[in-house]
Amino acid sequence: MFDFVSKNKRLLQLVLGLMMVPFAFFGLDSYTRSMRGADDVANVDGQSVTVREFNEELRQQLDRIRGILGRGADVSTFDTPEARAGLLDSLIDRRVIATAAVKSRLTVSDEQLREMIANMPPFQVDGKFSKASYEALLQAQNLTPAGFESKLRYDLALSQLNRALAGSAIQARAVSGRLAVLGEQQREVQESVIPADAFMDKVTVSEAAMKTYYETNAGEFRTPELVKAEYLVLAADQLGALDPVTEDELKAAYAARASQYKQDEQRRVSHILIPVAADAKPADKEAARKKAEAILAELRKSPGKFAELAKQNSQDPGSAEKGGDLGVVTPGTMVKPFEEAAFKLKKGETSDLVETEFGYHIIRVTDVQAAKVKSLDEVRAELTKELAKQKGTKRFAESAEVFSNLVYEQSDSLKPAAERFKLQVQRTDWIPKAPSQAAGVLANPKLLGALFSPDSIQSKRNTDAIEVAPNVLVSARVVEHRPAAQLKFEEVKKDIDARLRRQEASKLAQQDGAAKLAELNAGKDPGVKWSAAHPVSRAKTEGLPPEALRKILSADAAKLPAYAGYGGEGGYVLYRVGKVIDPPAKSEKDAKAAVARIESEAGAEQFAAYVESLRARAKVEVNKANLEKKQ
Amino acid sequence: MAHLDLEEQEQLAQLKSWWETYGNLLIMGLLLVAVVFSGWQGWRYWQDKQASEASNLFETLGKSMQGGDPKAVRDASGELLEKYPGTLYASMGALSSARYFFDKGDLKSAKAQLEWVVDKTKSDEFRDIARLRLVNVLLDEKAYDEGLKLLEAGHGASFDAQYAALKGDLLVAKGQPAEAKAAYKAAIEKAGKKSAGLRESVQMRLDALGG
Repeated sequence: MFDFVSKNKRLLQLVLGLMMVPFAFFGLDSYTRSMRGADDVANVDGQSVTVREFNEELRQQLDRIRGILGRGADVSTFDTPEARAGLLDSLIDRRVIATAAVKSRLTVSDEQLREMIANMPPFQVDGKFSKASYEALLQAQNLTPAGFESKLRYDLALSQLNRALAGSAIQARAVSGRLAVLGEQQREVQESVIPADAFMDKVTVSEAAMKTYYETNAGEFRTPELVKAEYLVLAADQLGALDPVTEDELKAAYAARASQYKQDEQRRVSHILIPVAADAKPADKEAARKKAEAILAELRKSPGKFAELAKQNSQDPGSAEKGGDLGVVTPGTMVKPFEEAAFKLKKGETSDLVETEFGYHIIRVTDVQAAKVKSLDEVRAELTKELAKQKGTKRFAESAEVFSNLVYEQSDSLKPAAERFKLQVQRTDWIPKAPSQAAGVLANPKLLGALFSPDSIQSKRNTDAIEVAPNVLVSARVVEHRPAAQLKFEEVKKDIDARLRRQEASKLAQQDGAAKLAELNAGKDPGVKWSAAHPVSRAKTEGLPPEALRKILSADAAKLPAYAGYGGEGGYVLYRVGKVIDPPAKSEKDAKAAVARIESEAGAEQFAAYVESLRARAKVEVNKANLEKKQ
Repeated sequence: MAHLDLEEQEQLAQLKSWWETYGNLLIMGLLLVAVVFSGWQGWRYWQDKQASEASNLFETLGKSMQGGDPKAVRDASGELLEKYPGTLYASMGALSSARYFFDKGDLKSAKAQLEWVVDKTKSDEFRDIARLRLVNVLLDEKAYDEGLKLLEAGHGASFDAQYAALKGDLLVAKGQPAEAKAAYKAAIEKAGKKSAGLRESVQMRLDALGG
């Protein structure tokens, strides 16, 4: 055996060598990549959309909504199944595009990448690319240059594709010109309303018809199930009020946060800057110093002219206009030599020349506010409120469990819990199961669900203590119950009569309107009184229902006046289109912009169709359970 | 190796005879695999290189379009289509320069670029898009019948609405409003739920024909 090995060493080396080849080219990752599954929301041609990525995108989307609605807004209502499906849809589209880009070998060369990075303003210092700031900025965002560059390379390739498809749409000028006009075209309309009310007297409804309506729509004529309930509210702020904050507690809390109430010394400072560039020649530096000295000398002669001199001479663009004023400065915010000089001066004093990396400064302190501590009386109100809240929350936390147990164990009365926590048992009037104003603090779906549960209604037991708001527990019990009931025909007859008559009247109005419209279209005059004419357009709908607007806009304007009609529940409206007003001719620039907008819309549509087509061919799997799972 | 026992000697002999019969074949086989594999790698490498060069040229084309010298655009685009016709960049470049020439009012050159994509691209979607644009140029040239004929060629389902809308545009220009209405109605029907913009735009054209 060994003999064979030693005789055929060459051969075996070759075989082993060949076996290594695949590893050299593929690496191990192609063996691991195919292991996918449980952590994916979707898979597109073998590319995963992971749960983590999906949740991150979702979070960003909700953050954007919060940004619009303002901080603290509850955006959880925007996390709907539809919103999630929509988000996933766009992530899948992105994967589809990425796959297409890779398959088509879209890429950018190293030179293009380098040029792109070098021209990005954030990486530039004094108009030139700075490697140091490039690396520092990336590090600040936890990115490595290699990672950033590969992401950028990918983004660039996608933007090439987008530019080439979406950015190059061609729309016949004959069409884009027409669309530009149509979009802004106005039609001058007059209206004539035929209200249903006008026909109310002309219709009668038979008793039989009313009965039929009553029977077929029985569900509408029911009174809902109602209860009268009594309830207890255990709330943190109530509990806090039972145990007022004492003077000793206030003092202790004040002492504990003394550092919070301390305010550092504050100085208001002005300066005059004669700048010296970091790489200035000695001669230039000397010139700057001479100039600064001259200003200082003048200042010594007439100290009142600081602001004026700052305006004339200071080359600090931010402060010069304000007479050199830098506002209030605190220690640690200015360069060292500046700070040292500024904090040595007394109020109203002016420094000698101070040299910093920016050049020569002349500094004046215009105001000094000594370090001080806010007294207890200054913060008393605020602190008392905070402590009371803390105490209430603490008491609530201690009491919540006892409260819950009490209402549960002695479930035939709320009194024991009321006595234990010095609470008042309160009562409601008749309330329905759907949350309503009348239910007050009980208007919570979970609580009402418990209150209207068969168990609660039959045995009149306390509901569980349910947290209806943060730090507010409520338990309620049914006192009186009235089941849902069918209203008698006699009770609702009047209501049904009005309803049916109105329906009939509306029908008559439609008929009348349609007949008049036909006459108008035939060139006759059925004696219609028109309102004053006013223009409407797609952009200026004047509060018209969309359907009515469409009727007006699609009335054949080949022959004017043209007529249209629109019927709704309240009756019928006739419209008379007297004039079609084309938008005034645009300047060349505006016309070009309008055409460009139409073309870019067409481009976007074509790009979307491109993606849709790719997607139809891709293998897309969605893991529904992961899509709906909340974090 | 004299102390090998009989059984081992026998095995060895078998192995040797097997090797004598099939050894060459095995080596040949392995060599063939190696050649095919490196050939494939080489092919991939070559394709990547082509794509990268084409990408550079595509960028050059983009810059020359901004520069506004039609000759430079013509040169870059010509080189891209001639040297790298198999890359997607050639199609991308042709679409971009078609728009450039269209904007300059040079409909003939725009058409040539779009026709190249229709004939040569490997991407079905690019072909469908190029044809849409080509027909738009034909519309401006008042070559309505030629445009209508071109629209008859098959296209991907996701382009249905856009093809139908364009057919309507041609028929309006040709003076056949009744047929145009039918085409626009078909376009509205076929516009997907994501194409609200297209649907609205076609609705506007339909309304202008009197619904």
